Amino acid sequence: MAAAMAAALRGPGARFRWRQLASAGGARGAARGAAGQWDYDLLVIGGGSGGLACAKEAAQLGRKVAVVDYVEPSPRGTRWGLGGTCVNVGCIPKKLMHQAALLGGMIQDARHYGWEVAQPISHNWRKMAEAVQNHVKSLNWGHRVQLQDRKVKYFNIKASFVNEHTVCGITKDGKETLLSADNIVIATGGRPRYPTHIEGALEYGITSDDIFWLKESPGKTLVVGASYVALECAGFLTGIGLDTTVMMRSIPLRGFDQQMSALVTEHMMSHGTRFLRGRTATRVRRLPAGRLQVTWEDCVSGREDTDTFDTILWAIGRVPETKSLNLEKSGVKTSPISQKILVDSQDATSVPHIYAIGDVAEGRPELTPTAIMAGKFLAQRIFGQSLTLMDYDSVPTTVFTPLEYGCMGLSEEEAVARHGQEHVEVYHAYYKPLEFMVPGRDASQCYIKMVCLREPPQLVLGLHFLGPNAGEVTQGFALGIRCGASYAQVMRTVGIHPTCSEEVVRLRISKRSGLDPTVTGC
Amino acid sequence: IAQYQEVKVSSFEEFIQAVEEHNGKTIFAYFTGSKDAEGKSWCLDCAQAEPVIGEGLKHISEGCVFIYCQVGEKPYWKDPNNDFRKKLKVTAVPTLLKYRTPQKLVESECFQASLVEMLFSED
Repeated sequence: MAAAMAAALRGPGARFRWRQLASAGGARGAARGAAGQWDYDLLVIGGGSGGLACAKEAAQLGRKVAVVDYVEPSPRGTRWGLGGTCVNVGCIPKKLMHQAALLGGMIQDARHYGWEVAQPISHNWRKMAEAVQNHVKSLNWGHRVQLQDRKVKYFNIKASFVNEHTVCGITKDGKETLLSADNIVIATGGRPRYPTHIEGALEYGITSDDIFWLKESPGKTLVVGASYVALECAGFLTGIGLDTTVMMRSIPLRGFDQQMSALVTEHMMSHGTRFLRGRTATRVRRLPAGRLQVTWEDCVSGREDTDTFDTILWAIGRVPETKSLNLEKSGVKTSPISQKILVDSQDATSVPHIYAIGDVAEGRPELTPTAIMAGKFLAQRIFGQSLTLMDYDSVPTTVFTPLEYGCMGLSEEEAVARHGQEHVEVYHAYYKPLEFMVPGRDASQCYIKMVCLREPPQLVLGLHFLGPNAGEVTQGFALGIRCGASYAQVMRTVGIHPTCSEEVVRLRISKRSGLDPTVTGC
Repeated sequence: IAQYQEVKVSSFEEFIQAVEEHNGKTIFAYFTGSKDAEGKSWCLDCAQAEPVIGEGLKHISEGCVFIYCQVGEKPYWKDPNNDFRKKLKVTAVPTLLKYRTPQKLVESECFQASLVEMLFSED
């Protein structure tokens, strides 16, 4: 028995090591998986959206599963619990802070609706942060309970490959454990990128890893980047009353429909966020009083400028968590450009029994729902009788900027590139949410665009909605589009009145007609 | 077996007092339906959970405080405005929680030895 175990642990280049007890208090015999050779049927590396979904599904199918999760502290020292990026430093805290910012606007609106609201109103960062952080911690706990409840073994260890079936895990205190499995899923996600070539960037800047865990207000903030992370963060910081500037090198929301992206930033500009376009930061210095002085240059003219901030938030992209995995020991290949793990349509890596899902996998959307679905389907394919593959086409998403942007399917540019201008029909409308009218809110950027094929029945290729509650609006239409909705069917769908959503089914003006797309009357 | 302090209370006011007395320490609290003169609780789930909690206590760290709190008679408990529900957000019995953290186990979760052990020993 020991010899077979030793042979299993000794891969090419692997160091021979007596395997320590993988489970606290568990007998060696009991720790072996159904396959007999390995500790587990499935080892999931990464306890985030994808990893947890996959692990729980496999356990549900009766398999012996383990999850290893470890959070390397950010350069500022921020760390968090089980649940991955979405729960701890992404979707969840982001949406809560976005909500906090929106509420500020609603309190102002309330006066017009008859509420006696004392002026001026102010926002307490500490109170919001504590509430958000407590909620996140309750989710960490919820995940711990769920795993335990479903008999999934959890280790808070930093894992790296020893060979293609074995990982070595190191605890916070430096203790080492070996874990082996028949199948391995890598779901380690990604982390924010630091512009290490910029002097002072690493020492004085923070990222999305840190912003949600700050105990004190970030104060006057410079957000560097043009991603949805950059715009969403800048959006809620402005909304809670902080002096916020966004600096970007070129275009906002690369990859998204550019007409919509322009409207998103236009709204932010007219609502208090300062934009510095076509600039890149060159240097960050700390001043004696503790504030940060940032120098930047104009990309075209080369002209330099400078300003002082309390906080600099780098939101210039994310890098996959693959470096510390020792992938070479497993044979798993990564993309030389993105460093992400190369996978096929079955989510398998270059090694047949090793898979990768979520942000760490090449070519996948960096979204929680797709990672979760992919994780579940993967477990069903490995252990169940399923052949279902994840469909990454037409995934609906929403950017939670102050005026939200929900979309699904092709952007106008993509549709035209794919089908040709003559074969694409775009219906659009500028509308005014009813609720905006009483307080006199600016609705200039509230806009909807439906991109269709020109040939009857005019299949819907993409839907773009800019307005309040965009996520809630877009979700329902995603089902319709998935079912192959055509513009002909849209025209015959009765709207719910009075809503913003109904404006989607009331779209009648095409771009081609040149007519004024402003919605009038009831 | 670790040295922890057990405090028995049988009302919301007593609970708050106990918490104040042990301010600064790690406090675990177990909320159960009150027992009658024969030691029987009106809450059947609580009766089932109690031995599991008892076993779990062996995993508690030194210096911690364990408050055993009887919430009262069934009618009081069912009142949606009782202090436990409104002020402590304890809405089910049995509930086992680590005070001032989001860590808690409710109802049938308290029957599971592994979950109870996890709550007592996790940080």
